[in-house]
Amino acid sequence: MQLHDPARPGAPAPALIAVACVLQVALSPQVSILGGTFNFMLVLSLVLALSRDPGPAAVAGFACGLFFDLTSTAPVGLMALILTLSAFTVSFASRGSLGGLNADTMRFIGVAALIANMAYGLCLFLLGDQGDLLWALGGHGISSTVLDLLAAAIFLAATASSSSQRGFSARGRGTRYKVLK
Amino acid sequence: MPRSQKYPSSHLNAKRPSSGMRPLVILSILSIVLLTFYIREGDAGPIHAVRSGVTTVTSPLRIAGSVVASPFNALGNVIENLTASQETLSDLKAQNAELTSQVAELSEAQQTATRLESLLGLQSTYNLQSTAARIIGGSSDAWSRTVTIDKGTANGLEVGMAVCNSYGVVGQITEVSLNTSTVLLIFDESSGVSAMVQSSRAQGMLRGQADGSLRLEYVSVDSEVSVGDIIVTSGIGGVFPKGLPLGTVSSVERSDNDVYYTIVVRTQASTENNEEVLVITALNDGQVATDAEVSEANAQDDVTTSGGGSTDSGSAANQADGSGQDGTTTDDESE
Repeated sequence: MQLHDPARPGAPAPALIAVACVLQVALSPQVSILGGTFNFMLVLSLVLALSRDPGPAAVAGFACGLFFDLTSTAPVGLMALILTLSAFTVSFASRGSLGGLNADTMRFIGVAALIANMAYGLCLFLLGDQGDLLWALGGHGISSTVLDLLAAAIFLAATASSSSQRGFSARGRGTRYKVLK
Repeated sequence: MPRSQKYPSSHLNAKRPSSGMRPLVILSILSIVLLTFYIREGDAGPIHAVRSGVTTVTSPLRIAGSVVASPFNALGNVIENLTASQETLSDLKAQNAELTSQVAELSEAQQTATRLESLLGLQSTYNLQSTAARIIGGSSDAWSRTVTIDKGTANGLEVGMAVCNSYGVVGQITEVSLNTSTVLLIFDESSGVSAMVQSSRAQGMLRGQADGSLRLEYVSVDSEVSVGDIIVTSGIGGVFPKGLPLGTVSSVERSDNDVYYTIVVRTQASTENNEEVLVITALNDGQVATDAEVSEANAQDDVTTSGGGSTDSGSAANQADGSGQDGTTTDDESE
């Protein structure tokens, strides 16, 4: 007898990943509001982490972070490290009880994105890329977090929509059903 | 029943859900190794080469994004204007950027011609050897101020080349790929351009600040600087041609015991999408600061430090054109 969990699909969401990569390369450099920019890779890694076990979530976080590093002017490896840790922690903490576009999930992702952005700003300050810690954290960090939350809402809505089209889902209500196969 | 049959430990281990600690540790170490190699390797290192390749592959997407986003640039300006003070807005409205640039250029040419005719008998012009490029995007992260242009090594561009537009200096190339280049803007904290006050020839270094403003540093309090003075490149370091406009002085402050002025500079150089820029590919002899000017800059600093009793070792000439977040710093070759 084998347990099957429809809430944790084994295959990644290729469409979501492709869209996020395109947006990161094409849109993110074009939009800067109050010192913040979209980080679609951060959002993607957190959204993927909600529906995956900690191990695969860490791998997804690393891949997202490395893509961000290679398509930006930031030090390569820094965002990869932060997203690896963030995705692992989010997956471990959520335990599959979060997902879909609801207040709990948004609050959870908001806190994770804020911590990740703050950590990134702090690391850039320690590496000498930023001279003003307050501005790096309060200016860029918070503005970017707000934009990331906006992107996360869209991503979560898209994933919830696609999963509801596949069939019944109990995600978003704080419960998870196991289906015997 | 044998114990091994009752409790098949190997089977239990196989079914135990993984905690995910192994990939976490491995990938974290890999990230730190990548970061370490990136910091320690030069611009021609393998990680930089991989990034250059990725940039080349993704450049069509960047260009497409630039085209799509260009109609919405005004939205960002509206938000920026809403957050700006009324004084700043009125000042900006009152100032004609194009005229300022033209006045700076003409004044510099006139002063340069007069000075060189009377003292050195040389001639300096803005005969720039340059390549036109177009801005196709900004920085992907909020912590750096860069733009991407649509020309790269295939067009003869190299790291360290200066970039300007019709308003003056924009920045300096810090990374190049086959068909795109990354330009570190003069607003970035890690950017620095050797500059001088056009009217008094006082030497200093223009540095970006965390809030996006510009400050002219290492200008001695013995020099004459006033609001409205035009700041131009000094040519020291051999990266930026001498006399290119950088901005105008918006405020000058001096405390009692200060050795240097605190000078805030306002620039008109914008870096909107699809804006044309010039990449200066080579400098003529007349566009680089002479030994006499470098000596003069050093002498100015020496007088300041000895007269003021300061222990500050900062020198406008010694720190000239130290620009670039990857360590493209200190062009002391001219000394």
